[in-house]
This record gives sequence, C-alpha cells and structure tokens, in this order.
Amino acid sequence: MASSRVAVVGSKQVKPILSANKTEAKRRVLNLYKAWYRHLPYMGLLKDLQLQSRVTWLSFVLNTVKDFDIAVTVPETKVKLRELFLKNKHVTDIRAIDLLVIKGQMDLVETMRIWKQKTHVMMFFKDTNIKKPTEFLTRFYEGHD
Amino acid sequence: MASKFCRLLRPVVANFKRTRFLQQATVATQLCRNNTQSTGTTTEKRPTIRAPDTLMRKTLSEFGQYVAENLPKYVQQVQITNGDELDIMIHPDGILPVMSFLKDHHSCQFLNIVDLTAVDVPTRQYRFEIVYMLMSLKYNSRIKVKTYTDELTPIESVCSVFAGANWYEREIWDMFGVFFANHPDLRRILTDYGFEGHPFRKDFPLAGYVEVRYDDEAKRVVVEPLELAQEFRKFECSSPWETFPKYRQITDAEEVPINKEANKPQEKK
Amino acid sequence: MAGVSRKIVRCHTTGLTGLKVIKEPHEMLKVLYEKTLIALNKIPPTAAYRVNTEQIVRNRMQHVLTERDVQVLEEKIDGGQIEEVILQAQRELALARKMIEWKPWEPLVAQAPKNQWKWPI
Repeated sequence: MASSRVAVVGSKQVKPILSANKTEAKRRVLNLYKAWYRHLPYMGLLKDLQLQSRVTWLSFVLNTVKDFDIAVTVPETKVKLRELFLKNKHVTDIRAIDLLVIKGQMDLVETMRIWKQKTHVMMFFKDTNIKKPTEFLTRFYEGHD
Repeated sequence: MASKFCRLLRPVVANFKRTRFLQQATVATQLCRNNTQSTGTTTEKRPTIRAPDTLMRKTLSEFGQYVAENLPKYVQQVQITNGDELDIMIHPDGILPVMSFLKDHHSCQFLNIVDLTAVDVPTRQYRFEIVYMLMSLKYNSRIKVKTYTDELTPIESVCSVFAGANWYEREIWDMFGVFFANHPDLRRILTDYGFEGHPFRKDFPLAGYVEVRYDDEAKRVVVEPLELAQEFRKFECSSPWETFPKYRQITDAEEVPINKEANKPQEKK
Repeated sequence: MAGVSRKIVRCHTTGLTGLKVIKEPHEMLKVLYEKTLIALNKIPPTAAYRVNTEQIVRNRMQHVLTERDVQVLEEKIDGGQIEEVILQAQRELALARKMIEWKPWEPLVAQAPKNQWKWPI
C-alpha cells in the first residue's frame, strides 16, 4: 500500500510513511490530539476527596473510573498535552510528523490499556526534576561540592 | 534369572559399544586429518582460525548467481564473506519478492527465519543496513539478505512471509527506530514505557539520557536526567598478543559476478 | 528393513507434526503442477524465473505421470515425503502467481548508493 504512493518532501519524491501530503499529516496530528484530549479525564485522580467519594459509585456505573492514582487534575493534564504537542511544532517533514504521530499513538495505547504504571504517566510531568542550583552559595547550601 | 543376568551385563555391553564407537570416531578424524594434510596447503604453518571451504564457496556462489539471475530487478550484489557465508544485497523495494522467492521456490526452501537485525553506519546515505538471516532445512544451508534504509524511509514488513519476523521487527523498531510498513503489531518490545530514543543508534550515548531511582517522597520510581558522578573511562580492548597473525588485516568479502544479460529477450527472434 | 517398516507406518502417519497422510497424492500434484504451469505461462518466456521453474515443475510432473508407486515416486523426485512435495508445489504455485505482479525479471530498480555495501569503511 505505502510502497505505491509517493510523497513530496522539499524538492524530492520519497516513500511516505502514512501521509502523502501536508493536509493529511495535519489531520492525523489533530486526530491524535483529540484522542488524547478525550482520554484525559479518565487518567488522573480527582483532587477533591469528598467529591470523589460521592462520584465513585456513579463513575463506576458510567465506566469512568480513574486509571492511575496520580495527583494531577484534568486541567493540568490538558495544559501538559498542549505543551507536549507544541514542543514539536517546528517539525515540517511529513514523514517526521508521521513518525511522531505513530509514537504518540503507541503512547496513547500504552496509557489507555494501563500497560503503563503511575511512574510512566508521571514521566510526562517531570515533577521531581527540580533544577539544580548554579550559584556558588546556593550550591554550597544544597550540599554540592 | 535371565533378566537379572541381562541387567548385570548391560553396562558392560554399553561400555563396549561406546569404546568401539570412540575407536571408529578417532579413525574418522584421523582420516580427515590425513585428507586435509594431503589436499590443503602444506606451507601454512601459522595458526589460523579456519581454512576456507572451497567446495562450499563454489556451491554458494553458484546459488547466489541463481538467485541474482531469477530476480535481476532487485538483487544489487552477491558476495561470499570470509567465513564462507552467502550475502545477497537487494534494493529495499524487493524485500517481499526476494524473501518469498527464497522461501517458496523449489530449489531454495529457506523456510526458517533465523534472525533479523539492523546495523547502523551513520556515514552512509542510508544509514541502516537491515540483515535477514534465513535457513533451509531441506538443503542444510543458510543465507543472508541485506537491504538498506534511513530513519524516515519505511521498509516493508516481512511478517506476511515469515510470521517469526514479528518480534524481530519490533525489536528493530524499538532499538533503531526503523519503521516497518504493514506490520501487524508494531510497538515497543525491549524498552520501558515512556522511554525516548532508540538505544542502538550510534548517536545514542552509552550512558543514556535518564536515570531511574525510587523516590521515597513521591512513593514511586522517578525518572530524572542523567548526572554522572565520574567521567566515563576509556578502556583499551585490543589484546597485546597477536592471536591470529594471518587475520591481522580483514580482507573484503569476495564479490560474485552476476550475469546481467540473463533475462533480456533475445533480439534474433 | 527400514523401508518395509516405513511403508507400514506410512499408511497412518508421515511422522511430521501437522502433516497428514494424503491418499491420492498423484491427483493433487498433477492439479498443482498444471496450475503452476498456467501461471508461469503469463510470464515472458525469457524470464529466468520462468525457465528455471518450468524445468523443475515439468521434471516432477513427468515423474508423477509415469510412476504410480508412491515410494518410488518419492525417491525419484527426491524432495522428501510426498506430502512435503505437495506442500512445496503449493508454495511454488502461490509464488508464481505473485511473481506475475512483481515482475522480478525487469532490469534493476536502482543501484545502491556509493559505499552502501562497502565494509569495512
């Protein structure tokens, strides 16, 4: 299927991965974004415990149980999602975009099927990556040599 | 009574058999040795890994020519390596035809896929070399098929021909980042969920980018950027002894000539 | 001795997992080889694949047509047990049909870039 089609990157013709042109690639990116966006409410932990206890029974019935026991609110995940997508906005090669979409898709599947654990989901948020001090005195206080 | 007697005798008989067999075996090896001494080059006295098997090389090169003659559209080069192995170098478009031919044709019957791997050579235009290793039980023979691709060019999956290639291709996708088109289930196989990068690429650092530890406050395993307490040491790996002086220089694999006129229609008719 | 015992055993099993004994191998092989030859007819006559395969298939077909005894046929074809020979014929037929689409007798698609196959660099 893919071998018979041709995509144009820059001035040369190449074998496409998925998309043959820019609009197709863009559509794929948007679709992936939407898929992630729809999944976000099921991922995190509700901050308000009282609300959660009230909602638990209902959510169980509606099949909206949270997948991971992580302390992140839904708006926070949405901000992170947008940030992660915009991180690659400089990519222009259709095939590179396709590869990123494929990887994002695989990531989504890993998250949805709960193959990932809490650790792996929290890798997106990098909450323990506190920037190391660079000033001499602050470094000294922190105990660096 | 008789059975008891037999039981007593059995180890003796077994031992007898074994020693006889051993004697035969030693005779056989002796014969072989004599043969090789008489036929092989007698001048070679330096230690060597193995002598090239000329008969094997001949049959393999003939078979290589046969494959090249049947599939002139895809076979770019045929060669025989120093270890007497047959390599078929093909254009990436021809993976399915070549693999199907090697599997299904009467005089090939390479029904087993032994291994499938990639080699990263960043200086080449197509940096990844994909290597397929096949085995034919019928003819007791092995063959290597090589093709090439780069980071962004998809390569056709051979899962439709060899179901066993499924995990090998996943491994290459995971380790090198080569995308296989039409693979039934392409996803990571060796790296951890959320891992970024392809570790077998030559531009991937030996130490990796991240380190993993258990954080007592967060009550989970956390992933952080790598911070090395010490620079990486450089080890000298080459041996000070010259083990095989004959193999000091690696000679190139021997290229087998391909008949390029075989499939052209004859103009006389 | 071994041949006789094998003959008795062969009525029930091929001794290979998943490979059943076939009662009428001649018929089956004849049909398969005919189909293969029809498929090969669609390939240009100068193509090496057609020439080589036709030679093999015709040779085997000849044996199938002349020899009725399965055991002797197996020895003449020399491709393992007759059930294995049938499997081989089935694979060749599928391959021949696919080859018509692939057209591997055409000239080389593209040469490899310079130094692609050079090792060590």
